[in-house]
Amino acid sequence: MNRRVSRAAIISSIVRKDFTEFSRDQLYVFLSIIGLVFFALTYYLVPDTVDETITLGVHQTGMDALVGQFQSGAATTEGLDLVALDTADHLAAAVAGDLAVYRTSTGDIVVVGAGAEPQAPKGAEKLDLTIGIAFPDRFLRSTAAGEQPTVTVYTDAAVAPEIRSAMASFVREIAYSITGDQLPVSQPAQGTAILGPDRAGDQASLRDKLRPMLAFFVLMIETFALSSLIASEVMNRTVTAVLVTPARVGDFLAAKTIYGTILTSAQALILLLALRTLTTGNWSTLLATVLLGAVMFTGIAMITGSAGKDFIGTLFYNMLFILPLMIPAFSVLFPGTAAGWVKAMPSYPIIDTLNKVTTYGAGWSEVADSLGVALAWVVVFYVCGLLVLRRKVRTL
Amino acid sequence: MTGPAISVNALRYSYGDLEAVKGISFDVVPGEILGFLGPNGAGKSTTIKVLTGQLPPGGGGASVLGIDVSTDNPEMQARIGVCFEEKNLYLNMSAKENLEFFASLYGIKDPDAIGVLRRVGLADRANDRVKTFSKGMRQRMMISRAFINHPDVLFLDEPTDGLDPGTAAAIRTTIQEEAARGAAVLLTTHDMYEADQLSDRVAFINNGEIVELDTPENLKLRYGTRAAKVRLRDGDLVREETLPLDGGAGSARLAELVASPDLLTMHTEEATLEHIFIQLTGRGLGG
Repeated sequence: MNRRVSRAAIISSIVRKDFTEFSRDQLYVFLSIIGLVFFALTYYLVPDTVDETITLGVHQTGMDALVGQFQSGAATTEGLDLVALDTADHLAAAVAGDLAVYRTSTGDIVVVGAGAEPQAPKGAEKLDLTIGIAFPDRFLRSTAAGEQPTVTVYTDAAVAPEIRSAMASFVREIAYSITGDQLPVSQPAQGTAILGPDRAGDQASLRDKLRPMLAFFVLMIETFALSSLIASEVMNRTVTAVLVTPARVGDFLAAKTIYGTILTSAQALILLLALRTLTTGNWSTLLATVLLGAVMFTGIAMITGSAGKDFIGTLFYNMLFILPLMIPAFSVLFPGTAAGWVKAMPSYPIIDTLNKVTTYGAGWSEVADSLGVALAWVVVFYVCGLLVLRRKVRTL
Repeated sequence: MTGPAISVNALRYSYGDLEAVKGISFDVVPGEILGFLGPNGAGKSTTIKVLTGQLPPGGGGASVLGIDVSTDNPEMQARIGVCFEEKNLYLNMSAKENLEFFASLYGIKDPDAIGVLRRVGLADRANDRVKTFSKGMRQRMMISRAFINHPDVLFLDEPTDGLDPGTAAAIRTTIQEEAARGAAVLLTTHDMYEADQLSDRVAFINNGEIVELDTPENLKLRYGTRAAKVRLRDGDLVREETLPLDGGAGSARLAELVASPDLLTMHTEEATLEHIFIQLTGRGLGG
């Protein structure tokens, strides 16, 4: 009996078989569904509001009028809450977390743990002091006399460098306002370049920042399902049975690519839809980014699925790849903080593009560079995955 | 087709420095079952891997259905069926789904999966997942998968290994049916009884070389000795004697014993393929 069967028909058969197998694996189906639900719930549970107020502890003597001006004036509207403490030691201890600071309903500041105040006052609001500025006693007089007194800025280790820098500027502003000199800060002649819509006063909330991270996590998680399927084909030698039929190694690899890309990208798109992130304005850029991510993780799954000798082995190799690749995903929670080595990670351009598109509404032109770098990494991982899996299949 | 379905000429294959197949030659014609006999590591499975396109020939040549196996031609694979030694089935899929999937790879639109399963006694389990099957049922599944495309050539690698006698007998019957249909069958086994029962010809393979190839009857005639084993009373004891049946003194002694009241039992002894294999190679088939 002589029959002809097209390559497309063979690939389609293998892909359908892969989806059947996936649907029968209760563990991975459960993890996929739970993952989507968990990520969506996480997204909707985190606050959609932005608290941009910085609580700043201040110790000063003889500067009440000046501090009051900052407290009640423009500084307050820009999110600065000044809290005056009696001594520099209290200020340092409060920032270090050794003392607790409360504001009563009448506006008085109570330092607990210091001397006669062992208990928190009832109904008082606890203040989180992570930054404090201690002005020396003769600050005004010295500054006015043209001297350079030392002002100490206390910061918690978790405070971002940008905030520390802003505090130093704040002190300088006070100093210059006393001496009447111009601020040595120049504004750019042209307007500041802002990516996407200007979100001044409408900063990205934690919920906004989670979107790219969650979408990326969904892409990543499906690596486990795909690598497990590949490992199972290799370990049980079912691939050998496939390859003594008219199916070729290329058909097998193409089928795994299609299956992995569809499985992964579909779930990421479902999540983006559930997060109400996929819109008529950004669907094409998001789709392209998600597809690139899906192919990248398909390549990784081909490598890990070929390398693992059993379930634990495959899991180990998956973790070896996935843990480092997760790091850039967290950088979106702290804008502007990604270190150089994080930006060099293969997953960074994908997470960066997802972030720019979902959080800042960037278009094709604004993400072209990141997508280009992402494409290069995708090619590297995918080609490596193909070569490793092809070699594995041929040497069974 | 005319001519051999499988033609192997001075075929070689090496795993690195280890020469697994050392220039073997043989043919299998349509409707013939060739038993490929040898211990583990003799080169049987490697030969099948080369003939089914899993490994490229390292030297010499081979063709299946007139197609050179080194050309990686899907037309050849479309007309062969392979039963592997390992049970490489999709365990999370049902028996029917397994067969339908493999049928689709051959371009068979509406495969008679139930009919094929019925032949191996698994029709009533068609919709059960293979992971619920016993070892014997999985082996029957392997056989049914090899039949799903009505192949012109069947490669069966240890098809009854480790099975209970009932299941093994059922599988042997099915193999004979396929040969009767006209399929050429290359059967590897280290079970001499199975080879004797099924094979039209047998090839003894040892250390990558074919040391003998002929029909079982011819091999027995050539290498075996016909004898009768008798047990007879000797006073209070029972004694055994083995008497050659090739005429001469053995036959005369046998005639004498048949008439004797001391004769207790008498059995004829045939040369077995295993004895011949040991005689030819100096080793058994077990390892």
